[in-house]
Amino acid sequence: MSILKMSFTRRRSLALTATAVAVALAAAGCGGDSDSSAPTLPGNPGLGGDGVVAQSVYDAAPVATDADIPAGSTMEAIRKRGYLTIGGSLDAPLLAQQNPVSGTIEGFDADMAKLLAKYIIGKPEVKTTTIGTQTREAMLQAKSVDAVFQTYTITPQRATQVAFAGPYLTSGLAVGVRKDDTSIKSVKDLAGKTVIVGANTPAVTALPSAAPGSKQIAFGTDPQALQALLQKRGDAYVQDFTLLASGAKANPGMKVVGEPFTTEAYGIGLNREDTQFKEFVNNWLKKIQADGTWAKVWEATLGSVVEGGAPTPPVIGSADGS
Amino acid sequence: MEALTDHLSALGHGLVTTVELTVVTTVGAMLLGIVVATLRIAPVPLLRAIGTVYVEVFQNLPLLALLVLFVFALPTIGITFPLFTSAVIVIAVYEGAYLAEAIRAGINTVGVGQAEAARAIGLTFGQSLRHVILPQGLRAVIQPIGNICIALLMNTSLAAAVGVVELTQAANNVNLVEAQPIAVFTGAGLAYMLLALIIGQVTGLLERRLAIVR
Repeated sequence: MSILKMSFTRRRSLALTATAVAVALAAAGCGGDSDSSAPTLPGNPGLGGDGVVAQSVYDAAPVATDADIPAGSTMEAIRKRGYLTIGGSLDAPLLAQQNPVSGTIEGFDADMAKLLAKYIIGKPEVKTTTIGTQTREAMLQAKSVDAVFQTYTITPQRATQVAFAGPYLTSGLAVGVRKDDTSIKSVKDLAGKTVIVGANTPAVTALPSAAPGSKQIAFGTDPQALQALLQKRGDAYVQDFTLLASGAKANPGMKVVGEPFTTEAYGIGLNREDTQFKEFVNNWLKKIQADGTWAKVWEATLGSVVEGGAPTPPVIGSADGS
Repeated sequence: MEALTDHLSALGHGLVTTVELTVVTTVGAMLLGIVVATLRIAPVPLLRAIGTVYVEVFQNLPLLALLVLFVFALPTIGITFPLFTSAVIVIAVYEGAYLAEAIRAGINTVGVGQAEAARAIGLTFGQSLRHVILPQGLRAVIQPIGNICIALLMNTSLAAAVGVVELTQAANNVNLVEAQPIAVFTGAGLAYMLLALIIGQVTGLLERRLAIVR
């Protein structure tokens, strides 16, 4: 019998379907970030009882008067549409993480977005598009979303492409190490070490000057970077203090050492041409800072892992580029 | 444009890594592809089954999932490879399944008489494969193999997700500073296109030189 007379019947359709899925996933992953091109999620189904921030905070939150929303403005368009569209994340604990049970997105960024929606529309209706950090500027320029709430660090270069309302939150980069590590006590001890960073985070650019001679490896998501630290792919993990703190809470194998060594001012990314909308968002931020809503949201989210009470909110317009 | 020209060295390093990753992985995937295609036409049922399982498993799993599993799951059982090596192994194993199928298609184009003649002059299975069937089979599928190599090049960008600083990751890093994704990723995209065109040209050249006209 010839070797070429084998029968090659195969269940092709199954393989084809699976290959198509693989190709689609591969395409989605091209940005280097597994969640970067995830499909748009349906709107948040209201605010169920298991939201991190108490319903009463939303009930008491301010709503803009008709005088604040002139005809033809972006705010009017959003109010008519009935929901706010934002670019954000689903996998950042305490900042914007989707609750797998309720489907709602919880955390400081997500709640800020809901409060802005309430201010404009009267109810906290937000549609979140998960975006990668590499496409934020392009999405805002194309007006694919109204605003970006994604620990978006205000920098002068970025301010040439987008407008930043805020800062609405300040934090800084800190150092996380494995619990049994006693050799690293602050960022100064990182020289010559292998340091894990999140791809597309400020750590990528801040680390070479803060810790000269350190070697960097970057991972797409915060959970991956944490895992890499615990699996000893690097000696330390440099990331925003708030993210490290929530990571340390969830992983007994790691700890945060030293104080934050940079100051990051996070802004709400908006379309650069729309100065009217920026002024409107800034006014809203001042309002929720003054009436204590900001502090309540902070305490319910980031405050749950950081010692001490809510900090003084950042002064609007204080960051270079805002 | 300045967003690109100011960071040529970073982008250049990324490009070199992408090329290295593509070349090493292609060689590995090709060798694996030939071995698996041979298994799939072997006269021993067990070997055929092994080949079929290999192809079905790796064609039907997403590459990104394989990469993440390899990089983050293996260390939990005490096996840790360097990141670049991990990316090479996973992409080669994955693309090897596709190449095996292309090579098997090539083998099927070889006339039955060729195999029978090889057996008639006393060649063993291995010998007839090496001297008669594979040389003809491979030459019949140069174009499909080239296409898979282009797909392999594009798939190397997934290595960025597991910490390899190749072209996509380098572009990400540059964009982080410059905040000009359209300029930066257009540049990176053109570089990928150029590499793909080179693979296409080489494939075309080989096709003209080697294809068997029947």
